[in-house]
Amino acid sequence: MSTSVIDILVRPDAFFSNAMAEKESLKIPALVILTSGIVAAITGYLMGGLSAKMMAGVMSGLEVIITLSAMAGAFIGTLIFWFVASGVFYLISSLLNGQGSFTRVLQVVGYGYLPQIAGSILTLVAAVLYIPRITVPTLTKAALEDPAMIEQVTKAFMHDPAMMELTQITTLVSIVFMLWSAHIWIFGIKHARGLSPRDAAICVGIPVVLYVLYLTYNLGVI
Amino acid sequence: MRLNRSLTIICMFLLVSILPGIALAYTTPESIVASGNVYISGTVYDPEVFFTGDSGTVTVYVTNGNSNQSVVVNHATIGDKNIRLTSNPYDTSANIGPLQTQTFIFSVATDAFEGTYYPTFSLSFRDADSLYYRAMVKVDNTPLELSILDKPDAFTQGKKKTIDVQVANPRKNTVTNVVLEVTGEGISTTPERTFIGALGAGEKIPLNFTITPEIATTALLTLSYNNGDNPHKITLNLPITFGVDKKQANPVISNVQVKTDAGIYHVTGDVNNAGLETANTVMVTALAPAVPQDPYKTYVVGALKPDDFGSFEITFTTDSGVTGIPVELSYKDTDGNIYTTVHDVKISSSGEAATKAGGAFSNMLPVAAAIAIILIFVGGWVYYLRRNRQ
Repeated sequence: MSTSVIDILVRPDAFFSNAMAEKESLKIPALVILTSGIVAAITGYLMGGLSAKMMAGVMSGLEVIITLSAMAGAFIGTLIFWFVASGVFYLISSLLNGQGSFTRVLQVVGYGYLPQIAGSILTLVAAVLYIPRITVPTLTKAALEDPAMIEQVTKAFMHDPAMMELTQITTLVSIVFMLWSAHIWIFGIKHARGLSPRDAAICVGIPVVLYVLYLTYNLGVI
Repeated sequence: MRLNRSLTIICMFLLVSILPGIALAYTTPESIVASGNVYISGTVYDPEVFFTGDSGTVTVYVTNGNSNQSVVVNHATIGDKNIRLTSNPYDTSANIGPLQTQTFIFSVATDAFEGTYYPTFSLSFRDADSLYYRAMVKVDNTPLELSILDKPDAFTQGKKKTIDVQVANPRKNTVTNVVLEVTGEGISTTPERTFIGALGAGEKIPLNFTITPEIATTALLTLSYNNGDNPHKITLNLPITFGVDKKQANPVISNVQVKTDAGIYHVTGDVNNAGLETANTVMVTALAPAVPQDPYKTYVVGALKPDDFGSFEITFTTDSGVTGIPVELSYKDTDGNIYTTVHDVKISSSGEAATKAGGAFSNMLPVAAAIAIILIFVGGWVYYLRRNRQ
């Protein structure tokens, strides 16, 4: 690859124009996804610690399970997102008469995930700053038998002022960097599936905008 | 003939035998001397001091000071226009032996004004003149004194309050069967009647009773007593007005802190007694919409003396969206009356309520920012696509 990684961020059209001339390779995209997944896993570890603290009174050892689950969930979730996003783009682009392999789409989505690393790092920093300020309610065994109580505890946890601020910040960060990734993906899909800029924008823009609108909706109802 | 002579002799004998008796009923120098040794050894009025309109008795003690001679009296009476005799005078003869005392009891009544009176006791001797004696008696209309020693500044509906009174006898004689009765509409008193008994001259006795009013009214204190056998009474009105007792205990909640744990609110704080009386059995609990939960559904602080304080902690749950809950503070006074006050405690600074308070605004800002970012992205691409198409 003759172009640098920086070109992905600032000149994605030119980057993918060159990338499509080369042989399909998922090495660098997988590395990007892996890096993002690791950062997400660290953030998941911190956030999982809060949930573990909330469930600490229920059963001994449950904290470790919850924390590890949160880490694995964040890491695997990143990989799943890679495949799901690629699948959605591939499907929509097929409807728009797009040509090209699914591997190319995976490659494009992987490269486009690069801004997400920065986003994940910012989210991690915010989590490190805010988590110590969050008051975590503790569930007891007796409380577990009462669904209303569990709901109440969860609400109390989610509505903690520090928790709310953290959620707002991380959601805004996610939206900004997701749109940045979408910007890259549009150019990538254009080249990978041989679509016009308009079709590529529709292919990527519709699901991404729907996704960020969903995030925005969640932001409004918390 | 012989019969007539015999009858004449018998009649003459009988006349002769009667003559010495006739001669004994006559006033003689000895009988005058003997009557001079008869004196009034005492008089007792009951009551000792009369009210105007009272009736009573007077007992006169007549003593024969002769050591070896009896005297015969045949009439005794007492009274004048102020002290009226209401019983019959003594009109039969009575023999008072040597050194013996004879008692004469009379019923009297008076309608005289206040003052000192001297009704005359007269005693007639069979063999001498009469004896006269002025038996002094007083008429005084001074009643007993009933005074309030201590009472609450104000009464509260349904709350028992103690009233301290004093009964004093400023009269110069003892009164009996003294009874204090407290009555009034819409009040219950304990005891309703207090029997004091006899109250001597110049004596005083403290009493107390409790009043539990249901309405603002006037309590009537009636002090009844007997002067001799004559009933008398005095009354005193005690206004029962509702208001705030300036001295009562005044527990105040301060230093309130709210935390949540497992959906259960923990409210901690201090209770200070800012009143002048002790607050007993101070308790703190949360009211609806709060639902008290263990471990501190109700916190018993205990007794708080004036200027004393104690800490409390209560635990409860409540519905989402509730920003404040009423906290009830209750205590008892020394009579066991329960007083309650309700304080609003804001719980919006913790838990979900915090977000409800300012949530509407704080949530709008990030949403607006997100929408702006999305619009910039979409608008930028629309602009880009149109420019490239042209």
